[in-house]
Amino acid sequence: MRKTVIEPNGKNLQYWKDIWNYRELAFNLAKRDITVRYKQTRIGLGWAIIAPIVNMFVSTFIFGTLAGLSSDGSAPYFIMVYAGSISWSVFQKNLSQTASTFISNADLMKKVYYPRILSPLGASLAGLFDSMISIIVLVAMMLIVGYYPTVRFLLFPIFLLLNSALGLFAGLFLSAFNVKWRDMAQIVPFALSVLQYACPVSYSITSIPEKYRLIYSLNPVTGMISAFKWCVISDMSFDTLSFLVAMAWLVFFAVVGIVLFRKTERNFVDIV
Amino acid sequence: MILSDGVIKMSEQPIALHISNIKKKYVIKHITKKPDSKIERLKLMGYNLLHPIKSNAKEDFWALNGVSFDVKQGEKVGVIGKNGAGKSTLLKIISRITEPTDGKIEFYGKVSSMLEVGTGFNAELTGRENIYLNGAILGMTRAEIDQKLDDIIEFSEVGKFIDTPVKRYSSGMFVRLAFAVASHLEPDILLVDEVLAVGDTRFQKKCINKMKSIADSGKTILFVSHQMNTIRQLCDRVVVLKEGRVIYDGEVEEGIRLYNSEAYLEKQLHYDYTDLPRYPDFDLKKAQVMSLSVLQNETGIYEANEPIEFKLKIKVKVPDLGDLSFRMMIWHADETPIETAFTKTFASITKVGDYDVEVKINDHHLAPGLYKLTIILSGGDSSANSENLDYVYPAFVFEVLNADGTSRNWSRSWGWVHMDDVDVKLVGEKKE
Repeated sequence: MRKTVIEPNGKNLQYWKDIWNYRELAFNLAKRDITVRYKQTRIGLGWAIIAPIVNMFVSTFIFGTLAGLSSDGSAPYFIMVYAGSISWSVFQKNLSQTASTFISNADLMKKVYYPRILSPLGASLAGLFDSMISIIVLVAMMLIVGYYPTVRFLLFPIFLLLNSALGLFAGLFLSAFNVKWRDMAQIVPFALSVLQYACPVSYSITSIPEKYRLIYSLNPVTGMISAFKWCVISDMSFDTLSFLVAMAWLVFFAVVGIVLFRKTERNFVDIV
Repeated sequence: MILSDGVIKMSEQPIALHISNIKKKYVIKHITKKPDSKIERLKLMGYNLLHPIKSNAKEDFWALNGVSFDVKQGEKVGVIGKNGAGKSTLLKIISRITEPTDGKIEFYGKVSSMLEVGTGFNAELTGRENIYLNGAILGMTRAEIDQKLDDIIEFSEVGKFIDTPVKRYSSGMFVRLAFAVASHLEPDILLVDEVLAVGDTRFQKKCINKMKSIADSGKTILFVSHQMNTIRQLCDRVVVLKEGRVIYDGEVEEGIRLYNSEAYLEKQLHYDYTDLPRYPDFDLKKAQVMSLSVLQNETGIYEANEPIEFKLKIKVKVPDLGDLSFRMMIWHADETPIETAFTKTFASITKVGDYDVEVKINDHHLAPGLYKLTIILSGGDSSANSENLDYVYPAFVFEVLNADGTSRNWSRSWGWVHMDDVDVKLVGEKKE
């Protein structure tokens, strides 16, 4: 029989084994999130489409029409915006769900043991389902306006996953602070809405003057959004600098985020 | 110790759970000063904004302070102790919900906990969807759930509502389904915390039987409860906790006796009922029993059939209350009612005031054990018009000893009353 040892500052190896043993739970949690989200809503899955489309129209009007900014490559402005906002919302949802995971799942976590990281992981999987729907809509729009995806488009799952991971790990990093200071619940949405304007979501990265481009690229999300847009827009060049910066952030958040999250999950039940 | 089938000796079983010197510290924060005006509050807010890390005064509280015991495979151990003794904290640590501050626990196999049934149920999902979700949360695999699904649905008795969202369930259906899932776990060690009181009486019985069959199947069980009768039915050993320490570890009846006497009830010689909460239907507007003082006894411990004497103070608040009498009930400490006395009218009251009454209970026939007394004061102008004016429970806690001066050697299965006037005569003899 498997022997388990419980000690203060428990062993890490045990934890990673447990994640494997409980892997089905992540899928069950994801399934729950998806089912619950669309049950009893009139248009069901339609809500996954409507929000980004409205966002697309507003942004296209403000940035494309009023401000007269140019699109990436030859893409119609609204296609560029829609691609950007899919990518942004993947990051934003992962981050905010994960950051508040100890608070929003406290009732469950206080009663049963499971590797806590499965909660944000499940939420992240549910988010992937939503983004798949958005991507189907994107492809449909591209086909309608006659702007056809190229071979590059097949790479989008990689960038989508990397982007999810970035949001998830950054969220793990913040979750530790969320338990101690509830002020974080106010700060995170506020900071995210500011950050959105500092990312090439509703405009092209080429709208940023060259001399600010380096500072602009230090933003962890810039590289992720650009890379995703690159899959969609056939004549856009790949922004290697910002992508490498994003990958560096990803590694940083993965290491520090997991360490902090593990530290918090040991005893957060006593605080929350 | 011998299992119910009488074959396997416990002492030969390997250890399933080893708990060694477990400590758990909680830090309690005190708010040093409460802001008493708006300006004070603003100042405090400003202070907190400038010093976000600095916190208020702290105090350590040891919920567990060095708990050690071993549980052998197949053993069913009851963990008892009054609220705050550390029982739930211990189960939380064993089930890995929180970590100990110090000490070590080792166990073999899979641990599942039934700390609260229905954990993780989602109101929007159907019964069936919740079985899968809850099962996964409790550590079952999909294949296991598939295999047990029919049993679970049958046990829960929700029948055709299994594909209805659980938010439309009655609370009874909800707990039945929740218990059904939890009780179909197949861990090597099962932790149970007071979950048996679910559903109506019939379903509670079914739950206890289910627990018994889990117990009989050779699983190791750690069981936390305040219901001594359930502990008796399920456990073959108890551990009594008090203030985060083990004060007793051993035989069930002895542990329960200790829990009842030392950890739970306190014998006193004077009781003040002024602030004792009463049932809501007693508003105490007409009369009230104020206090009780024990007479002729300095310990609250009585020898077999020693009379129990005490003085009561009664406050009468309205004139012409009429004839007063008592109903007195004696309960065993485990809440079994034993006997009742209806006294004669002892006074006819016409005036408001304080009255002193002496009571002597002569032939109580109580077996050795710990008991509680209930006093019900009744009054009215005639026996037909009599109403209950006050209900004091527990009014008095006392212990009765054996004729030989000990409190042991009385089996619970003999009842709590002894017959001490039985004549036996030899009336015939036939010699071969």
